[in-house]
Amino acid sequence: MVDIVVNMLSMCIPFSVALLLASIGEMFNQRAGVFNLGCEGVMAMGAFIGMLIPFAAGGGGPVSQWYNFLGFAAAAAVGALLGLIFGVITVTFRAPQGIAGIGLQMFGVGAAGTLFRHFVGGTQSIPGIPDIDIPLLSKIPLIGDIFFSHNVMAYLAYLFIPVAMYILFKTPWGLRVRAAGTNPRAADSMGINVNRTRYEALMLGSALAGLAGAYLSIAQAKLFSDSLISGRGFIAVALVYFGHWHPLKVMGGALLFTFAQTFQTVVQSMGISFPYELAVMLPYVLVIVVLSFTSKDQRMAPTALGQPFNREIRT
Amino acid sequence: MKRLLAVTIALVMAASLFASGSSEAADDGTFKIALIIENTIDDKGWCQSMHDGITEAIAMMPDKKIEYSYSEKMLAVDAGSIARQYVAEGYDLIIAHGSQYKNFVLEMAEEFPDTSFAFGTSSEIGPDNVFTYMPESEETGYLNGLIAGTLTKANIVGLVSPVDGGDSARYDRGFVMGVQAVNPEAKILLAYTGSHSDYVKSAEIAHSQLGNGADIMTGSSQQAIGALRATAESPTAMWLGQDLAQLTTTEGQQKCIAACAYNYAAVVVGLVEKIESGVKGGEVIPMNFANGGFIYDYNPALVDQWVTPEIKEMISSTIEEFKADPDGTLADWAEVDYSKL
Repeated sequence: MVDIVVNMLSMCIPFSVALLLASIGEMFNQRAGVFNLGCEGVMAMGAFIGMLIPFAAGGGGPVSQWYNFLGFAAAAAVGALLGLIFGVITVTFRAPQGIAGIGLQMFGVGAAGTLFRHFVGGTQSIPGIPDIDIPLLSKIPLIGDIFFSHNVMAYLAYLFIPVAMYILFKTPWGLRVRAAGTNPRAADSMGINVNRTRYEALMLGSALAGLAGAYLSIAQAKLFSDSLISGRGFIAVALVYFGHWHPLKVMGGALLFTFAQTFQTVVQSMGISFPYELAVMLPYVLVIVVLSFTSKDQRMAPTALGQPFNREIRT
Repeated sequence: MKRLLAVTIALVMAASLFASGSSEAADDGTFKIALIIENTIDDKGWCQSMHDGITEAIAMMPDKKIEYSYSEKMLAVDAGSIARQYVAEGYDLIIAHGSQYKNFVLEMAEEFPDTSFAFGTSSEIGPDNVFTYMPESEETGYLNGLIAGTLTKANIVGLVSPVDGGDSARYDRGFVMGVQAVNPEAKILLAYTGSHSDYVKSAEIAHSQLGNGADIMTGSSQQAIGALRATAESPTAMWLGQDLAQLTTTEGQQKCIAACAYNYAAVVVGLVEKIESGVKGGEVIPMNFANGGFIYDYNPALVDQWVTPEIKEMISSTIEEFKADPDGTLADWAEVDYSKL
């Protein structure tokens, strides 16, 4: 029984990374007042570009790890580019953010699938990045497997949480982001360039979404297919609400969702008599239930979320 | 007046376009087949097997002039419009490859009685211009189960399935029967992703099962590629495939001991012959070893290491039993009790 629990917990950290990166990215978007439903599409493009580079270098065979990290970098760059395009649409042209996000989602998924068919072909795997056993620490009974035997991107993603907190709460840029998402009119009167700040937040957030997609294709599934993301971009958006726009709580949400996911697979595999349809739904139901019970705690919500800013119009 | 004339000319041109499509097919004897699929023709699973079957069937009928088109990534709600296009272009047989297409096929079959439609998996007898096909996948699952039950050293095998329905449900139950036939003590870890195409979740389940001790793995539907990829990371675990296309993958070559496949070529040849003889539908076409609907093969790179002569003999004799009595050998597949795994 202990082995089963340890196995379950040891999967939580690596399997939560894609959701964690995407939801932290979406948190930056929303903190700046922009609601990006296109996270799924950005992840799809990141997954494709991320996988394409090591695949092109090795034809699906072993390659230097540098190609994998080049894949992550390219995925982040493509994500940032998509964030820039989304910014042009929603910040400069002030298009409705929800509709533009759905458009970005459809564009990203479609473009990734089309480019994949053109440059790669059918469902294709790559060696990806391996897990690393941290010397000594990984040998600690129970804890070693849970915390210290994962791939390097998993460690970097979790190390990014305090960095994200520092950026958001301790730097002038973080203050500008929060101001742009909470009271853009006041921010503008204080000399903050709201639109520029929103562009920057969108590019950072989308770069993280691109990284999240690349994590799925390079580090987790180690393959690409059209349906690789399968709704995880939308889960990431929900986790931002779940985590009340705070990096630590968003991380908690990503971990809780992943734990529920791995728990339901273990419940199924152990032959516990329970309808699998309900087991598969469990993580999603959990998110809805927690959102329902915490919806009144919206103190952290960016009050200008979803509202385009036009400094020429007084409201 | 000019506008009315222009509209009339356009309508006449459009009508003549459709009419010429139909008459052209009738005149030059070209048999036109269209395939509608929800994934892609190279998904190394469900959709690819039908596409490969059609192209193979065309090659098997060199004396016939056959035209073939396909539409990928068609959701059930979108498939009707493309199917209407195929009807307008005079296609003789429209195959909608998936039970999710049932409703639009039945609606269109009523509207276009001169066109033959086919969809599967389904064991329901359709209207006079609708064929259904049902792979009796419990047979292929049983063969893989026999090997899994024989080869497992940990006495734990893993099974990653999309949903408990269609041919996957039959494969899963056949697999359980096969394992239990040779190794009643073996524990079978069965879990569903809830999707035919969620490769990531399939891989997550496989990691979970491998972590819980499974040393022989299998999975059904195209999502199984994710589980196979996860199995490839295990130094000891091996894989049994539900599609021969898995043997062509890098990880399949390293880990997939044996695999089965749907031989849709035989089905398609049969459909073409029936339609040309005037039978446009109203039949269920079962797929099994007896009618050549399945193929089973070993991985040449692994066969000597993993497949003993006893296993080969067991598989061969079981296939012969299936051929001799396709209805009887696994007749009780639906009675498999998952609560006793």
